[in-house]
Amino acid sequence: MTQSTTKQWSTGKLLLVVGVVAIVAGAAVGTSVGYAVRYAAPTTRSFYLFNNSLPFDQNVWGIPHDVFSPDRITVNKGDKVVIYYRNIEDTTEDHNFVMDSPYTFDAVVHAGQNETFPIASTLKSTTAVVVHVNQTATITFTASWAGVFRYYCAYHQPTMTGYLVVLG
Amino acid sequence: MKESTILRWSAVGLLFVIGLINMYYGNSYAGFFQNLWYVMGAIYIFTAAVIASNFEPRFAQPAVFGYAIFLFVLWATTALGTGAGLDTVAYADKAIEALLVVNMALVIRSSRSPSTLS
Repeated sequence: MTQSTTKQWSTGKLLLVVGVVAIVAGAAVGTSVGYAVRYAAPTTRSFYLFNNSLPFDQNVWGIPHDVFSPDRITVNKGDKVVIYYRNIEDTTEDHNFVMDSPYTFDAVVHAGQNETFPIASTLKSTTAVVVHVNQTATITFTASWAGVFRYYCAYHQPTMTGYLVVLG
Repeated sequence: MKESTILRWSAVGLLFVIGLINMYYGNSYAGFFQNLWYVMGAIYIFTAAVIASNFEPRFAQPAVFGYAIFLFVLWATTALGTGAGLDTVAYADKAIEALLVVNMALVIRSSRSPSTLS
């Protein structure tokens, strides 16, 4: 065996040994981590969101009687969030859903009371979606930033406001 | 420029890019265990400096080769176990990491070849 062949074989053996050790160690640690954090892993969290009207005369009190129900959404950072937003008004009143920066979302508006109705519009990476009465909007985004972020209806401020709480 | 030098500097570039991606991922994307991504990114940037300076190449080069394989397998098994880290940024990061493994194997072979030892 020549010196050159010996050197090549040594390099090959080195790469093989380092590679095998790294693969075994990586698999062992990865499996352990996977087992340990299985229940803390990001997941998809779904919420049903509605407009609601409080029982007071908004003309007398000078503020809209519209509010969100619920007005708090709490998720973990990294979770995929799906909000099914239904405009359940008994009058022909529009609402919209707006999120504060840095969040944007995708939205699919269905022309009916649930997701089986035909799609009326589709929005990508938007900050606002309008939902007409008796429509449903499916809003999806990933909670990539921890903190407290406002979501609101721009037509009914300041009362129709909620907060997304992302636990970091 | 010698082939070994080109390979070494391409490895430095890949290490630096992966380090930056890991930092970005930890900052804005990882969702959980983001501190680990900071550590992995910092180690990659540190090893980029080590490979660039050619410090103790007979130890440093195999160590970086093994580190890249270790992290790739670690990611793959963790992703299988939890479903986390399966997104575009992670895929891009791991694709570059796979390229780095091949690059480092060539660097090691090149630096240990008789022509460069003589």
